[in-house]
Amino acid sequence: MKQLIELTINNRIYEVAVDARDLLLDVVRKKVGLTGTKKGCGDGDCGACTVLIDGKPELACIKLAIACQGKKITTIEGLAQEGGALHPIQQAFVDQGAVQCGFCTPGMILSSKALLDRKPNPTQHYIKHELSGNICRCTGYKKIIEAVEAAAKVWSIKGVQ
Amino acid sequence: MEKDDLKSKWNLTPEGWNLEGVPAYQDEKKYTQVGRSVPRVDGAIKVKGEAIYTGDMTLPGMVYGKIKRSTYAHAIIKKIDYSKALELPGVLAVITGEEAPNRWGIVPQAANETALAVGKVRFYGEGVAAVAALDEETAEAALELIEVEYEPLPVLLDPFESMERAKEVLIHEDSSGNIMNKGDQVYGDVDKAFAQCEYVLEREFHTNYPQHGFLEPHTALASYDPQSGHLHLWASTQVPHYLHRQMSIVLEIPMNKIRVTLPAIGGGFGGKGEAAPSEFVACLLSRKVGRPVKVTYERNEVFVTNKGRHPCHMKLKIGLDKDGYIQAVDFDNTLDKGAYSGWGVVVLFYTASMIHLPYKVPNARFRGRSVYTNKPSTGAMRGLGGVQPRWAMECLMDELAEMMGISSYELKMKNAIESGHTCINNMFVPHSEFKKCLETAVDKSGYQDKHGKLPFGKGIGMAGGYYITGTAYTLYQNYKPHTSVMIRVDTEAGVTLFCAAADIGQGSNTVMAQMAAEELGIHFEDVHVQAGDTEIGAFDLGSFASRLTYASGAAIKMACVEINQKIKETAAGLLGCRADQMVIKNREIYSIYETKKRIPWEKAVEAYTSINGSLVSMGNFSPPRRKGIDLITGNRVQGANIGHSPTFGFSAQVHEVEVDVETGRIYVKKVTEAGDCGTPVNPMSVEGQVEGSIMFNIGACLYEDQKLDVSGKHLNPNFHDYKMPTTMEMPEMDTNIVESYDPTAPFGVKETGEGAVQPTFPAITNAIYDAIGIRFYNLPITPDMVLKALKDKAKEAAGCDEVCE
Amino acid sequence: MFLNHFEYFAPKTQVETLELLASLGSKAKILAGGTDLLIVMKAKAVRPDYLIDINGVEEFKGIFCEQGKGAVIGTNTKLAEIQFSEAIQAKYPSLAYAAGEVGSSQVRHMASLGGNSCNASPAAETPIPLVALGAKVVLCSISGERELPLEEFILGVRKLDLAEGEMLTKFILPEPAQKSASRYAYMGRRDAMEIDCVNMAVTIELAKDGETVKDVKLVMGSVYPRPLVSKEVPALLLGQKLSDQLIEKAAEAAQGEAKPIDDIRASAEYRREIVKVLARRLLKEAYTAAKGVN
Repeated sequence: MKQLIELTINNRIYEVAVDARDLLLDVVRKKVGLTGTKKGCGDGDCGACTVLIDGKPELACIKLAIACQGKKITTIEGLAQEGGALHPIQQAFVDQGAVQCGFCTPGMILSSKALLDRKPNPTQHYIKHELSGNICRCTGYKKIIEAVEAAAKVWSIKGVQ
Repeated sequence: MEKDDLKSKWNLTPEGWNLEGVPAYQDEKKYTQVGRSVPRVDGAIKVKGEAIYTGDMTLPGMVYGKIKRSTYAHAIIKKIDYSKALELPGVLAVITGEEAPNRWGIVPQAANETALAVGKVRFYGEGVAAVAALDEETAEAALELIEVEYEPLPVLLDPFESMERAKEVLIHEDSSGNIMNKGDQVYGDVDKAFAQCEYVLEREFHTNYPQHGFLEPHTALASYDPQSGHLHLWASTQVPHYLHRQMSIVLEIPMNKIRVTLPAIGGGFGGKGEAAPSEFVACLLSRKVGRPVKVTYERNEVFVTNKGRHPCHMKLKIGLDKDGYIQAVDFDNTLDKGAYSGWGVVVLFYTASMIHLPYKVPNARFRGRSVYTNKPSTGAMRGLGGVQPRWAMECLMDELAEMMGISSYELKMKNAIESGHTCINNMFVPHSEFKKCLETAVDKSGYQDKHGKLPFGKGIGMAGGYYITGTAYTLYQNYKPHTSVMIRVDTEAGVTLFCAAADIGQGSNTVMAQMAAEELGIHFEDVHVQAGDTEIGAFDLGSFASRLTYASGAAIKMACVEINQKIKETAAGLLGCRADQMVIKNREIYSIYETKKRIPWEKAVEAYTSINGSLVSMGNFSPPRRKGIDLITGNRVQGANIGHSPTFGFSAQVHEVEVDVETGRIYVKKVTEAGDCGTPVNPMSVEGQVEGSIMFNIGACLYEDQKLDVSGKHLNPNFHDYKMPTTMEMPEMDTNIVESYDPTAPFGVKETGEGAVQPTFPAITNAIYDAIGIRFYNLPITPDMVLKALKDKAKEAAGCDEVCE
Repeated sequence: MFLNHFEYFAPKTQVETLELLASLGSKAKILAGGTDLLIVMKAKAVRPDYLIDINGVEEFKGIFCEQGKGAVIGTNTKLAEIQFSEAIQAKYPSLAYAAGEVGSSQVRHMASLGGNSCNASPAAETPIPLVALGAKVVLCSISGERELPLEEFILGVRKLDLAEGEMLTKFILPEPAQKSASRYAYMGRRDAMEIDCVNMAVTIELAKDGETVKDVKLVMGSVYPRPLVSKEVPALLLGQKLSDQLIEKAAEAAQGEAKPIDDIRASAEYRREIVKVLARRLLKEAYTAAKGVN
């Protein structure tokens, strides 16, 4: 018997009917219709399904939707700024050439945001260490790291949300 | 964010460049759109999560398909009973292989695959039945209810065993010896040449079984309309055309009633370069139930079916004369084909062709065989057919250099080819900056100061590589142009480029827009690209073998001829001068002799289209065909036309490694790369491809291997135990685009993305030798192997000390 | 890739949690981070009828780490919190480091310290330094509570000394002795998202002279069904001043005690080699660090 729960996603409240066992990834993609979060492996090994829950990076493919009530969930669609402008991390990824096939990108960007929120002035080692849960097969990571470093510059100047 | 801060060092847009009085022909190499590191056209939607991949799509009435997979690596299917599955509420249909028995295969002469297994399964995980149900969970539950009775057959997991036991166990009834294909190529006289060589060395090399690891699993969404008989297929694929063809063959629907559309694709690397059962099953089920059917693979399904790199068991022998020039190469290769032929013939002969470049080889012999085993088929994987022989050859040359007492760099420079080289198999290289690649990589990395001089455990190694660009031959007999492009110019839609090419993340849409803009004299932002749709776009062979930039570039140039001519004539009429004096640059048309006579490009377009309607033109490209012959005897050689290409890209890499001699861990610390890709259309994209290529192959060299147990079952069909490199494995990378322009190529372009993949294995292997004095002839090079080898070496040294005392 | 149907509970207090455990017994599983549980449920290896989500129970969270008072860490404290806790980094650096090397950033933000121990996987990272630090676990049920050293709590592969109705609620760490240091190391194929083929922690306490070993604990993981506390290393080193030779001997002894298996990740022979290497490196590192601490 499904339950009606409220999920706060990108500052908006969605009412969805879920079974206890429904995974956040499936609920977000199919019931709420936000397909930006991707499924790469379903086992928590690739990071493509990364979302932010209360600002912390988590894997939606191994997270129960029902366990997310009362939390603030941020998916990639929630990063857009005023008037649809790109968030500094998104802009940096585009400008630095850190996007190729784009499948790892939403998860990568959210992981990047989480790490910059915690440490706006990260070392390269710190960036690598905190992004190690996001696999990318296209870029070889170099431009992704450069994009995060470029975004960090904006962070320290402007203090970003 | 200041755009200026992010200016690419390659931004060739000449600010304030004076266009006055500069004749058009001198502009030829001075590009304004090509050569700019523009952000990708789809970059913004991808970072916003708005790009639609096949798995993101929903169609009204859509249902889900899932495939039941064999639990035997080799067995006869005695019976399939799916009655219980059909009774499960929510299940709409079940199909088995019998319903679609037509064989398909990317190489038609060797096509022996079916959508689902017919009569027999040949690898663990092969699809035997498929279900369409209202939701994925019901589909999964239905699979459990399908009962399959198997009669197990002996399992062959090694190509040598396959050949040995072929009389007892035949994987394909029509392939005696379990051999898919054999090749014998003789150029010149190797035996005679070897007899006269001063330095001769022969070694055996064995490569591993990696797979592509693209993040987006295979996904297909098929929608069959019972009323019109039209089938529309959306799929994550690199080859819309081949898919189109295969669907037609298997479903027995004419091609003109099938449409293939590519949504965004989450990587391919060759692994989506054929058709996949997901696509056939989606189409078959959709036709059966009259509703759209989506099939998405779970990650373990990708592993058990994916067509990874052919493990090669190679014997390579090279002979040098006393001055160090290569006189003969003898290459024997046994490829592990897996269960079905797929790309097999092509890969076999690509490996054969790889010994003829990038060094001068006057005599060569190749003997090879592609052998069936009961494993998932191997196929095309980044740099197909090139990576394995390149590893063997570059490592062997390193050993020969040591034998001769000269540096590897000297030996390779000595033998390196130059522009205009014709190989003895008649492959022609119109343009090459390979020597410059070697020089640049060696200089920038400090190779000569470090090689042989670093402390024990630290090492540096170098290697070269190359790859084809534009490929010469279609995979089926056809004289049709390999790539066609249609460009439409009008005032309503602006400039639209139509091509059924597949942008799998390599950025082809962006690059095509840049090339079209360059040729038309407008800005890259003005060009809309409609790609990846067989109904909208003009024919294209597919994204593989690095062919797209070259092929589409040539087609674009041709398409623009007529458009430019008509616009120039119109402008000339308006301005009162001659059409052949006009130049189009920077959205303006002007006369080069009377520069005051100029109008905006749009005005000329408007003037033309208001009378004639849309201005449309087609451009085609087919690479020139060359005969694969032995230049010395003039004899035709079997399979020798595979490997020919209108031009070739080159690369050299230097890797610095650190070996932790106590744990056997190998850390790649720094990679210096220099590549010849001709004109880099989008330098930032080129860098991205090269960096990705390097990491891709570091993975296969040190970490990745698919493992099977004795029954042929996959032991690590997941990202947990199949170890792809993470950010922590990333070395420092210094990539360099060597200055190059191929005068025979459109815009001077060549390839990138596969050439850079070749030098990685050998550069690392050579670096490890420099670090610890041990050569490895097996991949991947695991810490286990390193530690064992170090111990054996120590024992040997100790044993020697005893004897010597 | 679907989980079985189950009934979901989200208690708000420890008492509520224990009551649920008492009534539901072995048919229930505790959901903290879920990074192990959900994966085995997806593989259908485990099909609990009930899940008790403890993320709403504040009492299970938190790090209390004050000067001179050791530390108390709630079972559902996330590994990322431990990784970044300045207090833990200062007092128990081996634990902070081990926590920071588990899986990936995402896993560390979801996974709990308690889960990493209760999952009782031989390759688990944090139990190793915890045991080396002398950690105790507090096990509670509605009838009461008991304390147990962590190495006595983990009995084998997915086997715990945990009665039905009991759950681990917190970890108690003793205040590190003066002149002591603890270090952790691991070895795998990659440097992230790894299932270690060997992991190890060493704690060394020095006597007043700052050179003689007063106490040493070497704990190995991934080479035995449970965290293996070395007996031979203390036997060799207690009361000694460490030299390279002695350290080498101790490393060899540790190597002898390990009982690794062959599996898809590494061979037993390789693991044995690594045990010696890590033991040597950690003993040296911890000894040097302990000498430097005043």
